[in-house]
Amino acid sequence: MSALAAPVPMAVAAPRRRLPVWWMILPALILLGCFLLLPYASILVMSFREASTNAVYGPGLTLGHYGEIVTDGFVWGIVWRTLRTGLIVTVATLLLGYPVAYHLARSRSRWASLLYICVISPLLVGLVVRTFAWLIILSNSGLANTALKWAGLIGRPIIFLNSSLGVTIALIHVFLPFVILPLLGNLQAINPEVAMAARSLGASRARTFFKVTLPLSMPGIQAGAILVFVLSISAYVTPAMLGGSQGRTMAVLVVQYLVDNFRWPAGAALAIFMAAITVSIIFVYLKLTARAMRRLP
Amino acid sequence: MITRRQLMAGIGASAALLPLANRVHAQSPFVIPTYGGTWAKLWEETLVPEFTAATGIKSQIDVGLGKDFVSKIRAGGTASPYSVFMGNENIAATLRAEGFFEPLDLSKIPNAANLHEGLLNAGNNGLRGIVSPIGLAWRTDMVETPPKSWTDLWENSEFAGRIGLYQIGNTGAQLFLRLAGKLFGKGDTDIDTAFAKIKELQPFTQASWSGEVATALMRGDIAIAPVDWTEILTLQDKGAPVQIIVPSEGVLSYEQSFNIVKTGDNKDAAHAYINFLIDPKVQSKLADVFYVAPANRKSVVSEKVSPRLPIQGDQMSKIIRFEWDSYVKIAAEVADRWNREIG
Repeated sequence: MSALAAPVPMAVAAPRRRLPVWWMILPALILLGCFLLLPYASILVMSFREASTNAVYGPGLTLGHYGEIVTDGFVWGIVWRTLRTGLIVTVATLLLGYPVAYHLARSRSRWASLLYICVISPLLVGLVVRTFAWLIILSNSGLANTALKWAGLIGRPIIFLNSSLGVTIALIHVFLPFVILPLLGNLQAINPEVAMAARSLGASRARTFFKVTLPLSMPGIQAGAILVFVLSISAYVTPAMLGGSQGRTMAVLVVQYLVDNFRWPAGAALAIFMAAITVSIIFVYLKLTARAMRRLP
Repeated sequence: MITRRQLMAGIGASAALLPLANRVHAQSPFVIPTYGGTWAKLWEETLVPEFTAATGIKSQIDVGLGKDFVSKIRAGGTASPYSVFMGNENIAATLRAEGFFEPLDLSKIPNAANLHEGLLNAGNNGLRGIVSPIGLAWRTDMVETPPKSWTDLWENSEFAGRIGLYQIGNTGAQLFLRLAGKLFGKGDTDIDTAFAKIKELQPFTQASWSGEVATALMRGDIAIAPVDWTEILTLQDKGAPVQIIVPSEGVLSYEQSFNIVKTGDNKDAAHAYINFLIDPKVQSKLADVFYVAPANRKSVVSEKVSPRLPIQGDQMSKIIRFEWDSYVKIAAEVADRWNREIG
């Protein structure tokens, strides 16, 4: 018998079909579809349902809720207050947060980590606890008014609570990290040699900042601003606890419609209405800022 | 990297587990809706173990507000997460109007025979098992002439600008609104008069719940407010300079309405739970902990607490009650009007 065995044909394994990359995002898509888009669709449908006092909503369909909302001066007043609060909080957090982010990005001090902890400290305490602390600080006889009176700056207490003022102050505190953190990442990514080059060519510190650093940090400003604006106008706990009737925002009004008054169809329409306004504003903002960034040197 | 076959196998295995999940759901314990804080603590540590020991029914609590329970029952459609509902009577009336409740089977709730008058709803459509009377409370160090009547809120100039009222989302505001209609108008449904009279009290501080009223009283932002005994006696326990009286016209009251949810799957347990909760001993315990008025005529309040609870026993007749089933039709309109006209 020949020692030479007949050559065994090598079974060439067929290359296994690999899943396309998009399969990897399938779980997230399913999650979003089931727990975000479907409820949204349900709310959208509900917003067209007729109101009823002997059922959750009536069987018929109507555009009436939207008609009432867009012609209601009361609702528009609250929309304006909500957007104004969001705008003020966004601008204030940018003005307060930029220097902090800039300092953190440039600092090599060992104290920088302490400052970093201070920055994220508002996120380390529960929102209700934080807001309750503001309730104590901003009351008529609270720390803020007592200090201002002691300093002789005011004769009568400033009405912080039951107004937009208290809500705005508390939201600025809560959302400051949301503008600092994106900015910090952006500023750290800017090559310091770019600014050094500007300086070596004779640009002053201020000119270097405004002509080089600030434009290059626009993506961070854009991201932080969107984040804070959206979070501010959709905030519920802070306006509900500090705003009262005079600081009521759209989120509070929607909850009142849905939870207090059990008006699900009208509340759903109000929520969709506000979402549409928010998306429109963000769309315009992104268009404008993208155009502005394209013009940058 | 996983293959499509592996992925499909995973999904298939998950689907195969669904019947098991359903079985687990079928064996899930009886769910008791209750409020948070000290309420949840008492339920969890004392009442639920006692209920299980007395009936053999395993149960667990779900913490929220009456309004949250309404949302969950509504969202549950034909499969409510609860078989029993607890919430203020005006809130319960909304679900009742929408057909989510069924009448109580009193043969399964023998303790209902001993309820004080007015606590069992007509047609056995729910009963009010926990009664928290609302009186007029004031800061003793900020008020010279203590109130005697609800009308003092309008007539005593000392209170002007220092009044606290519930916000319309709270049952307390709806009670007060209807009281104003009853005191000054054609009756408790005279909403126009009620609004006009409440506007006369402006400016006043609004609070979403009793805890906020208490905080405003303690801060000195308000000197007087309609609020429940529970809140004020708790403040007194902490040494706060506050007092509360039964106004000459009578008191208002938060009344926790207990109802059987038609779409719940454990109605026998729900009946047993309601019967347990209005048991004389349980009612005494609730009075000791929350300073509520016992709903059961046979319940005895401890000697320590009894002198501080003016509304109990025969005095329960001083509770001013309103009919809520018909009010449901105008409740949303009234709330909307409050938001626009009162703020």
